[in-house]
Amino acid sequence: MKFANRVPRALASAALAMLAAPAPAFAEESAGGASILIPNMAEFIPALIAFLIIFVVLAKFAWPSVLTMMDERSKRIEDSLAEADDARAKATEKRKQAEQIVADARRQASDIVLEARKDAEAERSRIIAAAHDEAAGIIARAHENVEEERRAVYASSSATIANLAVQVATKIIGDRLSDDEQRNLIERYVNEAGSLNG
Amino acid sequence: MDAFAKLPEEINHLVSEFSSAPVVGDLTVGLTQYSFWLLVAAVVFAVVIFAFVKKQTLVPKGVFVNGVEYLIEYVENDVAKGVVGTGWRRHFPFLAAIFLFILVNNFIGLIPGMKPGTGAIGCTAALALVTFVYFVYYGCKKHGVLGYIKSLAPQGVMFPMNVFVWVIEVFSLLLRPITLAIRLFCNMFAGHIVMGSFSIMAALFAEPLLEHFSAMNAVGALPSVAWLIILLIIYAVELIVAFVQAYVFTVLAAVYIQIAESDEE
Repeated sequence: MKFANRVPRALASAALAMLAAPAPAFAEESAGGASILIPNMAEFIPALIAFLIIFVVLAKFAWPSVLTMMDERSKRIEDSLAEADDARAKATEKRKQAEQIVADARRQASDIVLEARKDAEAERSRIIAAAHDEAAGIIARAHENVEEERRAVYASSSATIANLAVQVATKIIGDRLSDDEQRNLIERYVNEAGSLNG
Repeated sequence: MDAFAKLPEEINHLVSEFSSAPVVGDLTVGLTQYSFWLLVAAVVFAVVIFAFVKKQTLVPKGVFVNGVEYLIEYVENDVAKGVVGTGWRRHFPFLAAIFLFILVNNFIGLIPGMKPGTGAIGCTAALALVTFVYFVYYGCKKHGVLGYIKSLAPQGVMFPMNVFVWVIEVFSLLLRPITLAIRLFCNMFAGHIVMGSFSIMAALFAEPLLEHFSAMNAVGALPSVAWLIILLIIYAVELIVAFVQAYVFTVLAAVYIQIAESDEE
């Protein structure tokens, strides 16, 4: 019964102690008071030797490569940042140049458009002037033609009218006037009539 | 209560379990449980560092490499560069070794069934002695032996006050390794004693229930839940303490090195 009581207690203690705290893995040797502050050589010497070996071995074989790698990384990062800054500065410069070029191009295009407008305006004015001149010439020629036509018609009609009048007059007063007198009379009459129309 | 009556005896038993006991030889020549786990921690530490060196690449990949590198960078930036200053590179191997050595030992001790190498005064005294010799050596290297001894007294103090101050400084210097050793040991030892005490209390209160299941015993075992919760909280705190103590030891070592090498005391 006593054994049966001990087993669960031991199990519970072991389980809880294992859960949270290092359980005694080795045989115990009771000690207490200030003696726990007195170093045992069985702990001091192995710890001293172990640490010195670790320190020397790592100082010789581990830390130099670790630091070299970390330095190399820092250097790469610094270089990359410097390159990025440089690239950014160059990009900014290029952008400014491009903006300058675009501004120049726009100004040139504006000048060209302005020039083209001026030329077009001048051409338009020239064409309009030429058209006016041509129209005036056409009108003048038309007037001349009309005048000539009028004169020709007038000349032709005056002769025809004279003849017709002579014939009419001859029929009315045929014997009183000679042919020449009749003709002179008619022509004078026609001229008077023309001056009245003209 | 029966559990409380048994507590003093169990605590004494626990403390005796934490006392150094030889596993090989005796307490003068041999190995105790603490030095055994310290050697295990040293091997683990060496394996981890060499595995890290092998896996380290320009662009760190993976949790292991990044984790170890984080610790190394922590020592480099916060301890070596931050405290020692310009000559940090010369002392980095020592500071990194002592920080990680203590850290691995502390964490090994938190694994149930294992013990921290730093839980014995003999082990912490060895580390403190190495630190003491290290900074005194670099102090003597910088100023010369006589110059270093003289540098312990602050400049600008009139005679005979400077002699008095020098004597105090020498005492202070000699106390440094002792305080380093005792601080680390006491923190680790006390932390494990506290955790052990709560685990004993949890076990004592749960014991009747495990022996015989009854409603009365179940009610009596309820405090065990509280002890377990406290135990888990203390365990979490001990994880932080393991890191903090390694950091404190290393920072103090760096401060002592910086003082030893400084031009003015």
